[in-house]
Amino acid sequence: MERYDAVVIGAGNGGLTAAATLAKKGVNVLLLERHNIPGGCATSFCRGRFEFEVALHQLSGLGTPEKPGPLRGLLDQLGVTDKLEFVPMSDLYHIVIPDQIDLTLKPERGEMITELQKQFPDESEAIENYIQLVYDLFTQVIGAFYLKDPEVTREKYPLYFQYALKTTQEVLDKYFKDPLLKTVISPYWVYMGLPPRLMSFVDMAAMLFAYLEFVPFHIRGGSQALSNALADTIISNDGSIRFNCGAKKILVESGRICGVITEDGQEISTDYIISNASKVTTYVDLIDHEHLPQEVLSEFRQCSLSMSGFTIFLGLDCEPQTLGITQSTNFIYGHTNPDLAYERMKVVDINDQDYMLLSCYNLIDPDFSPKGTSQAALVTLKYGEPWLNIPPAQYLKEKYRVADSMLQVAGRVYPDLRNHIEEIEIGTPLTHMRYLGTPKGAIYGFDHFIKDSTLFRPNRTHIKGLYGAGGWVGYNGFQPTLESGVAAAKAVLEDMRA
Amino acid sequence: MKKEVVEQLDGYHEIIKELELTRKYGADFTSEKGTVAAYINRLHPSRLKLRVSDILEETGSTKTLRLVAVEQELPPFQAGQYIALDIEVDCIRTSRPYSISSQPNQTGYYDITVKRVEQGLVSSYLLDRVNRGDELVSSGPAGNFYFNPIIHKTTMVCIAGGSGITPFMSMIREIVDCGLDRTIHLFYGNRTDEDVIFHEELTNIAKRFDNITYLPVIEDPTDEYSGVCGFVTSNLIRELVGDIEDKSFFICGPRGLYEFCLPELEQMGIPRRKVRQEMYGAPLNIWEYPGWPQRVNKDDIFSVKLRDGRQLEAKAAEPLIVALEKHHASVPSLCRSGDCSMCRVKILNGKVFQPAGVPVRKSDRQFGYVHSCISYPIEDLEILI
Repeated sequence: MERYDAVVIGAGNGGLTAAATLAKKGVNVLLLERHNIPGGCATSFCRGRFEFEVALHQLSGLGTPEKPGPLRGLLDQLGVTDKLEFVPMSDLYHIVIPDQIDLTLKPERGEMITELQKQFPDESEAIENYIQLVYDLFTQVIGAFYLKDPEVTREKYPLYFQYALKTTQEVLDKYFKDPLLKTVISPYWVYMGLPPRLMSFVDMAAMLFAYLEFVPFHIRGGSQALSNALADTIISNDGSIRFNCGAKKILVESGRICGVITEDGQEISTDYIISNASKVTTYVDLIDHEHLPQEVLSEFRQCSLSMSGFTIFLGLDCEPQTLGITQSTNFIYGHTNPDLAYERMKVVDINDQDYMLLSCYNLIDPDFSPKGTSQAALVTLKYGEPWLNIPPAQYLKEKYRVADSMLQVAGRVYPDLRNHIEEIEIGTPLTHMRYLGTPKGAIYGFDHFIKDSTLFRPNRTHIKGLYGAGGWVGYNGFQPTLESGVAAAKAVLEDMRA
Repeated sequence: MKKEVVEQLDGYHEIIKELELTRKYGADFTSEKGTVAAYINRLHPSRLKLRVSDILEETGSTKTLRLVAVEQELPPFQAGQYIALDIEVDCIRTSRPYSISSQPNQTGYYDITVKRVEQGLVSSYLLDRVNRGDELVSSGPAGNFYFNPIIHKTTMVCIAGGSGITPFMSMIREIVDCGLDRTIHLFYGNRTDEDVIFHEELTNIAKRFDNITYLPVIEDPTDEYSGVCGFVTSNLIRELVGDIEDKSFFICGPRGLYEFCLPELEQMGIPRRKVRQEMYGAPLNIWEYPGWPQRVNKDDIFSVKLRDGRQLEAKAAEPLIVALEKHHASVPSLCRSGDCSMCRVKILNGKVFQPAGVPVRKSDRQFGYVHSCISYPIEDLEILI
């Protein structure tokens, strides 16, 4: 029987950094990936003369070589920074609510404050104070968590103790009056999926802090370039990757990992598995029920599945400016009620009440598509459930109908968009389910309510030798999932040494 | 973080209450076992087991195989899409894409229409050795050559050549079966009038339905033929369809058809976004392509080392995937035209020749991945599959 020191299931962000970290340490590691290409969400696909970015919108936590963020250090260690070209974004975001506001913010604290104050002079001071709070709070989070203070006390970290379990809405309501201001200062909630009423303020502060301090980035060649670079590190360090080969079963014996059976029926012996598959897949589909620890089941009960997405990938036969697209990140919102936008995620249909995002990297990366063309991704969040209830024979009709409505909404901001489409691809929640293999096409793992944070649901190992990586064991998004793989690999290394 | 610290956070007790409540009334994910695969299989099964329920003679060199499902229901598809048949012939496991020629409004069966290819391993197997009742395995429906209501005009100008008629047959059958509000002007080029597939059916449909026009164009007609001769030219298209505004153009056939017709369409001033092309397989005469290195002869043979230690020989004139298949080192494939990237492999050492215009991801180029169905060995290779 073939034997590996460790097997990683799934070559998403977390699986790739896990396998790369292990391979670099000389661990004999096998990475199984059921697709023919690494990346999971971090991938691209070609249509005609366009190569579409699937998932990366704004890479956080990277920073510059002069002022590196945490992610840069991680990627340096894995030997991929030199193989990649990172392009900083010139805008933090552009947000439009037709007939209400059209505002672009820069990824710099002072400039962001000034621009907001210009728009909302009555709340000038509150804007300054809010951003100050974001910085002060996050500085305390860094001290307590990232620098691993052994003695975390209220005296040392008063803001943290006060705000750790507060929702974003509570803070927004405390600081601001104008609902429009509350909306334009907090659009990033869509990156985690829960509206300010349900989203932790610490998470919101973390995101805003990371983007303002380290500037959002795009990767030349898209997120696929990062995935390919990480795969390269694994291969060149004598790690093994098997594409077109998923895992069928995780083998457990007396509460310990002992191997894995691949999709093609091969049994591989190992003591360590890092699963980058969804937590539900890992524990429900891959592990026999008899080996499932009760704690896992009880923990599962508190969790709910996050939403999926509906995305239109557009290959356009003109430059973005021709269509009035002048920023790379554009939030298109129809109103200032995030709870309504959240409710809209639970239906199939799309209308002007849905919050959407149009990303177009040609503005910062002219080679992003062939000369004289551009490409854009138009995305909104949708729960998968209603899509699962559509009979297969009706599916295509619904897909086109909904895409059509979505383009109509985007047309309120970019009226000529529709007339320049050369290539189009539509991804529904079912598409995400198909390519990610997650239940209901969830893209953010489990919902990230405050009760689900690692404070209350630590990323524990329930079966000896089994570890998790990716958006299901902590936060979602590129930076967190890349970090989660390294953390899992380090835990494995530590256990191997013990 | 330590439990004692967490307990001191403002709002801790409310969260604990919420936790207790959700743990009491929350979902039981164990009931989700197998559901992801089940849902995906309804729409996008990776593998379909099919039985040949009927074989219809179309022309002297063409037959239609009617395929019914053995295990699950056939998934829906869009007129113009194909399935890739997995075939084992003479101990070689390979696959070939065939457009579905039946209409998508019914999924009781899929028809594929197979034309004999000279020295074609798979086409001769399907035409000569497959009988009614035989079982075949295929991929689920795939491909991007279909009418997309978001961007395509309801009047379609379709140019087919030879067996390239099959996706259009599916589209036309759907339009007339379902009474769709769409118009097709079909130009169908063939070498001789004896090669024309579906001639009778197309003639009848065109007679009965105002929204379907059908014009066969024959390059080298027999004496009995009295229709249009030559090629599908811009003049011919303009004559029949008139104004080119508000029309979408679709083209499917052998490589020669694109080489002739695409410049004709361009000359008519049709913007690129209005022209949709189907793929056409790997070139048979790759050594005549621009950029082919002078030093490499088409009969040259190179060694290919796999990272797992296996070693095999590969001909310069043959796509890498063919060499792999001949030596029982198959990689999965779908379109076999360089487009879908299913057969992606990594070149660790050595060089392959890839014709211009193959849509390989930018970073795949950077990291040495190629689509093995359209990559030709021009040096000894070491690869990772």
